[in-house]
Amino acid sequence: MATVVLRGMDLAQRYEGRGKSVVNALRGVSLELGEGATLGIVGESGCGKSTLARLLVGLERPSAGSAEMSGESTSSLDGRTRARRIQLVFQDPYSSLDPRQRVRAALREVLTFHHLHSGAEDQRIDELLDMVALGRRFANRYPHELSGGQAQRVAIARALAVEPTIVVLDEPTSALDVSVRAEIINLLIGIQARITISYIFISHDLSMVRHVSDTIAVMYLGRIVESGSYDQVLDAPLHPYTVALAQAVPVPDPTVVRPHRVTPVLTATGPTTRGCDYQDRCPLVEPHCRDVAPSLDDVGSNHRVACHVAKRRTTIE
Amino acid sequence: MTEILLSLRGLVVGLRHGHDVSPIVRGVNLDVAPGERVGVVGESGSGKTLTMLSVLRLLPSPPLEILDGEILFAGENLASASERRLREVRGAEIAMVYQDPMTSLNPLLHVGYQVAEALKAHGASTIQARETTRDALRQVGLSDPERVERSYPHELSGGMIQRVMIAMALAASPRLLIADEPTTALDVTIQQQILDLVLDIQTTTSMAVLWVTHDLGVVARLVDRVVVMYAGRVVEDAPTRELFRHPSHPYTAALLASLPGTQHSHRSLLHQIGGNPPDPTRLDGGCPFRPRCPFAIDQCAHEEPPLLPRGESRAACWREPDSWLP
Ligand SMILES: Nc1ncnc2c1ncn2[C@@H]1O[C@H](COP(=O)(O)OP(=O)(O)OP(=O)(O)O)[C@@H](O)[C@H]1O
Ligand SMILES: Nc1ncnc2c1ncn2[C@@H]1O[C@H](COP(=O)(O)OP(=O)(O)OP(=O)(O)O)[C@@H](O)[C@H]1O
Ligand code: SF4
Ligand SMILES: [Mg+2]
Ligand SMILES: [Mg+2]
Repeated sequence: MATVVLRGMDLAQRYEGRGKSVVNALRGVSLELGEGATLGIVGESGCGKSTLARLLVGLERPSAGSAEMSGESTSSLDGRTRARRIQLVFQDPYSSLDPRQRVRAALREVLTFHHLHSGAEDQRIDELLDMVALGRRFANRYPHELSGGQAQRVAIARALAVEPTIVVLDEPTSALDVSVRAEIINLLIGIQARITISYIFISHDLSMVRHVSDTIAVMYLGRIVESGSYDQVLDAPLHPYTVALAQAVPVPDPTVVRPHRVTPVLTATGPTTRGCDYQDRCPLVEPHCRDVAPSLDDVGSNHRVACHVAKRRTTIE
Repeated sequence: MTEILLSLRGLVVGLRHGHDVSPIVRGVNLDVAPGERVGVVGESGSGKTLTMLSVLRLLPSPPLEILDGEILFAGENLASASERRLREVRGAEIAMVYQDPMTSLNPLLHVGYQVAEALKAHGASTIQARETTRDALRQVGLSDPERVERSYPHELSGGMIQRVMIAMALAASPRLLIADEPTTALDVTIQQQILDLVLDIQTTTSMAVLWVTHDLGVVARLVDRVVVMYAGRVVEDAPTRELFRHPSHPYTAALLASLPGTQHSHRSLLHQIGGNPPDPTRLDGGCPFRPRCPFAIDQCAHEEPPLLPRGESRAACWREPDSWLP
């Protein structure tokens, strides 16, 4: 097994506001990212993926658990060292870019901050803009002068400018047309073929996650409910939520007739106090599931699942 | 002749810098019938968002302005409507879900307050607005609407915000829903629920839908007709089935080829269109796709093709698809 460059141990995050109910955004997530590998993260909207991303790069402190990079605790590293090693591409590119800063200034800032390409910054900036399929004519734009997909690519260029060893990409291609998306994916894979860089790739686009990831973790309500190699998780899913995801992927073929409403209308009530978090949406639910929360266990070859029924089925077979 | 709800005729949006104006949206024609679902796809930066913002006259101006064209909504030209009339239309008759929802909500106010205010602006009483808000949030699969109402925008995830925006748009029972990349932060099960919700609403009302997306799977599932944009123009307008079966423009064909299909092996390079889209301020008078087009002929360098009939579709390409389709 490759060296682990990033490890999350039992990470939890709770948010509490004045007089408001507490939100347990993350409830004990452990994961490992191998050197030069890509870990894909998929999951329900609001299940804590962006929160996890912020904890892993050290932008927020977890309320419990810890993260470490190559054996060193993330919170013990100073900001600059941390930023040099790990970068986050934010889900919302506009809010991660300073509205008063032109693209060139934003990129120059990170290069100067990390003493990269001193004296040749402008050349490097042009190169970076070409890399993300924008070109240097975008260097003088302010963020509000960019389309959604253009802003997203500036955010990617800024993260890659640091030449980090780990990049956490939170929905990095959601605003890109399929051709530009292919270009960005090719760029990421290409860099990984040349240098040792590891990615965490968070996305709702399952075909893209499948394409780039070595391993995949599926999240639901603040926990990992299934993990394993990309083909284990997406081609032979075990958890009923992963199965529902795989079935709901819209196929780009209008002749495919989909049975209307394969999923029940979602009226989930948030984390349940007892038993499995998925019980209210689950087609496989059994009385046992209402009492005992399933743990995430290995059912063979590092394929892990947190579902009583799925675990029983795999052991019988 | 079929009835038309929205008709863009020759819409031109320009970017002004000093005395110069360069057109970015360059003569867009687009029709939507009542109850019709039209998808808008295309190159990133081709002018999809600017076109949609123009319909409601919401362009950031300066530096952007409508230079030419008509925006006919139920026969009324919104391009020359008064600001007062536009306020009546916005939200109530035409509702919009913005591509960048975070900046269209006020960061300092609770989400529930903002949704209710929007409803009240369209005539709901305070109590009605409160009830409608809660139901509307539940309908889009937000499991804990009370908490969502009490939250500030930054306390919600990307997908939660998107659903708030969709709920807000649908609650006003608009005649036309314009949705600009509304489901990019939703997992596919919730996305499916949103698409089903839109389809359900359409069985009882004649709400028309204009849906901007890069997700060709959503296009295949949701819309009747697709408009493809490139470099500020519509380059193909086709019934959904036709678009996938026989693309009539080389750009559309290239888009379809860029999808990671099952035949792609893991981590292999994906197909991408070589070269870059043109700088809209530096067009040479020929076909804007020519530098990247494998099928260009001499004529393409000199004349920009208009939308030409191609079977049931229309495409802005000089060449008949039969001459280049494999
Ligand atoms: N600053 C905050 N204060 C309070 N609650 C928060 C805060 N940030 C996130 N949350 C809550 O934590 C949960 C997880 O949010 P997060 O943004 O991590 O989800 P996500 O998986 O990234 O979702 P999406 O796919 O929609 O982007 C949500 O319920 C959200 O409302
Ligand atoms: N204020 C502005 N100043 C200068 N250029 C602008 C401004 N706003 C938009 N543009 C440019 O206009 C073009 C069209 O932008 P628009 O946002 O409509 O693209 P889009 O088709 O919606 O793209 P995406 O799919 O990436 O969202 C882009 O090239 C963009 O850079
Ligand atoms: S008009 Fe010519 S250059 Fe343009 S798309 Fe058609 S063949 Fe290609
Ligand atoms: Mg998120
Ligand atoms: Mg846009």
